[in-house]
Amino acid sequence: MARRFARFTAVMALALVAAACAGSSPEGSAGGGEGEGGGEGGGGGEELVFAIGGADAQPGGTHTQVVDLWNEQNPDKPVRIEVLPNEADEQRNAQALELQAQGSNFDLLGVDVIWTGEYAVNGWLASLEDVRGEVEDQVLEGPLESGLFEGELFAMPYNTNAGFLYYRTDLIDTAPTTWDEAREICGAAAEEAGISAYVGQGSQYEGMVVNYLEYLYGAGGELLSEDGSEVLLGEGDAATTALEFMRTAQAEGFYDPGFNTMTEEEARGVFQSGGAACMRNWPYAYTLMNGEEEESAVAGNYDIAPIPTFTGTEGGTAVLGGFNIGVNAFSDNVEGAKEFVVWAATNDEVQTLLGERSLPPVKASVYEELGAEDPVLGQLGEILTSDAIGVRPPVPAWSSISEDMQETIYSCYTSDSPPAEQCISDLVTAIQEDVE
Amino acid sequence: MASSASTAPAPPAGAVPPGGERAKSREISVGALARLFVAPSIITMALVALFPILYAAYLSLFEYRGRQQQGFAGLDNYVDVLTGGRFWDAVITTLIFTVASVAFEFVIGMGFALLMNQAFVGRGVTRATILIPWVIPTVISAQMWFFMLNVNPGFINNLLGLGGFNWLGSEPWALVSIILADVWKTAPFVALLLLAGLQTIPEDMYEAARVDGATAWQRFTRITLPLLKPAIFVALLFRTVDSLRIFDLPAVMTGGSNGTTTLSVLVQRFIVAEPNPGVGATLSTLTFVVVLGIGVLFVGLIGRDLVIGDPED
Repeated sequence: MARRFARFTAVMALALVAAACAGSSPEGSAGGGEGEGGGEGGGGGEELVFAIGGADAQPGGTHTQVVDLWNEQNPDKPVRIEVLPNEADEQRNAQALELQAQGSNFDLLGVDVIWTGEYAVNGWLASLEDVRGEVEDQVLEGPLESGLFEGELFAMPYNTNAGFLYYRTDLIDTAPTTWDEAREICGAAAEEAGISAYVGQGSQYEGMVVNYLEYLYGAGGELLSEDGSEVLLGEGDAATTALEFMRTAQAEGFYDPGFNTMTEEEARGVFQSGGAACMRNWPYAYTLMNGEEEESAVAGNYDIAPIPTFTGTEGGTAVLGGFNIGVNAFSDNVEGAKEFVVWAATNDEVQTLLGERSLPPVKASVYEELGAEDPVLGQLGEILTSDAIGVRPPVPAWSSISEDMQETIYSCYTSDSPPAEQCISDLVTAIQEDVE
Repeated sequence: MASSASTAPAPPAGAVPPGGERAKSREISVGALARLFVAPSIITMALVALFPILYAAYLSLFEYRGRQQQGFAGLDNYVDVLTGGRFWDAVITTLIFTVASVAFEFVIGMGFALLMNQAFVGRGVTRATILIPWVIPTVISAQMWFFMLNVNPGFINNLLGLGGFNWLGSEPWALVSIILADVWKTAPFVALLLLAGLQTIPEDMYEAARVDGATAWQRFTRITLPLLKPAIFVALLFRTVDSLRIFDLPAVMTGGSNGTTTLSVLVQRFIVAEPNPGVGATLSTLTFVVVLGIGVLFVGLIGRDLVIGDPED
């Protein structure tokens, strides 16, 4: 087994080295770039490398269009995308391998909002405090907060994300604002139409943690104190309220029978084929279900609303997702890289492009301009500027916390024992160990 | 792999005594020459296989915080892992998976092999069809079984009229599903190994038995099984060691939820997802020990004469 993983790591490392070599050879005109750390020797005038993964980093994807835009405007300071794997864990692994070795092959890093703390505490990211002033008044507060670690800006907001409640307009007149209403309204509509009431992300993974946090924040709870040192999950009864809601929803069939094996795409699949009355999902699903690109049984028959809370707070609740851009602290051109991140966060063309491609922008003015015609951006703009938004705490130990939450919340909500209080106190103990 | 490490040193040990006596000097020089010839591959194997194992064992002695090494921890990681419940749960899950999947694969594989060994019209097509599952990459067949077993869209449930039965989201059915997917994929592999064994059995033996009036069952138990023993042993050992390392099926089909966290899934969590390389290395070292232990036990219990070689041959 040791071998298997060592082999895997070795292959990853080789792939990375190969990619780095392949990438630098066309640029390094010297040609003899066999090993010898060709990239590092080049220094100053070299192109910046932007390491980001996922479908949008592929040729023709949104990130490549953003980079093309920069290269058009700044032909003397070229930026190139280094495509990382699709899976978030593997992207993080690829970046970590490079950064752990203090490598300078990546200058710009596509950083998921939950990695900021880990990267910052390892000293992998250059502080962006000196350019914070240039973006602060243009960028939304929530996304900016997601790039902070201990109050210092380490990752520049690029695109953000927040979940919606999707509901069937042919079955439901007004969207629910509380979870009790949701149970009633989605439940009744489902019964009438003979379909499931609710789909969302219930599989044992990060997405389920986001779903749980939305319930938790919607019940007035908190996970950690502001500085991330204290676990507040056990304070009050919000955590148990949230867990008990999920438990009941699962047991009584408010959730689709397959809820606990669903990620984003399975949920969309059910909703899009007309199998559910309500769905929790990210904004990307909105355009995909309109029947233009894919077949859709619900085209024209769905709308979006903020995610309900337990108290009916206006603006619902939301837990931010999205990607920020960090600057590699070991980069040969930190200043040049900073210029790019500021531009990406504030340039109108870039941010509008993101908005049009279902990657919610971080620049406030884009929502004002496009919000009127684009229902998704309109809703999002309202949600993102309300007090309702929450973040996943930017603590270095987030991945350990998340793993513990995935394990405990999942096993607790899918069964009826142990009591919710017991689940939460076990979880608090586990998280306490992670943050210490 | 573990098997080849333990089988390699064995033949010389058994082979040296019978040689003896005459032309002692020539014997030694031949042995030395053989060792010289084997040396490059031994060195390569040591670098590729042994070094990572030892390095993992070395890493497991350190404390980590995130990816950063904090200092020497002695056996603290081992104490933590062995006193916590996760490791033992994973051991039990892995053992259940291994016993069940290897048993079914053996029985089904044997059936396939006997079928493929018969002469009949369309044998080529049958052989090819049986082998298809084995040539599909595991990750892809895992994804395929995920789609088929998942509640939505629920192909299998529709086929069997089970409604919303949650194969992958409930215990113990999640583990059953993974065993099913593994059996589907690897029974053909077992069949292939056994078929190779079957083809070495001379047809005249069966003829002679038939002349003597042996029934089909008698021919199977008295001729086929005993002569197939070496192939059976190889198939069982390969499959057992392989099953103990199962990762891809649970990772894709359930993500380790609902009682499907096998040892490898647990190792991946600590090496990649958290990450905590110290605990990860501890877990992978322990996993190695478990796999090696079971491999050695296996050889000791049922395969000793097969591995070391029958002296009468």
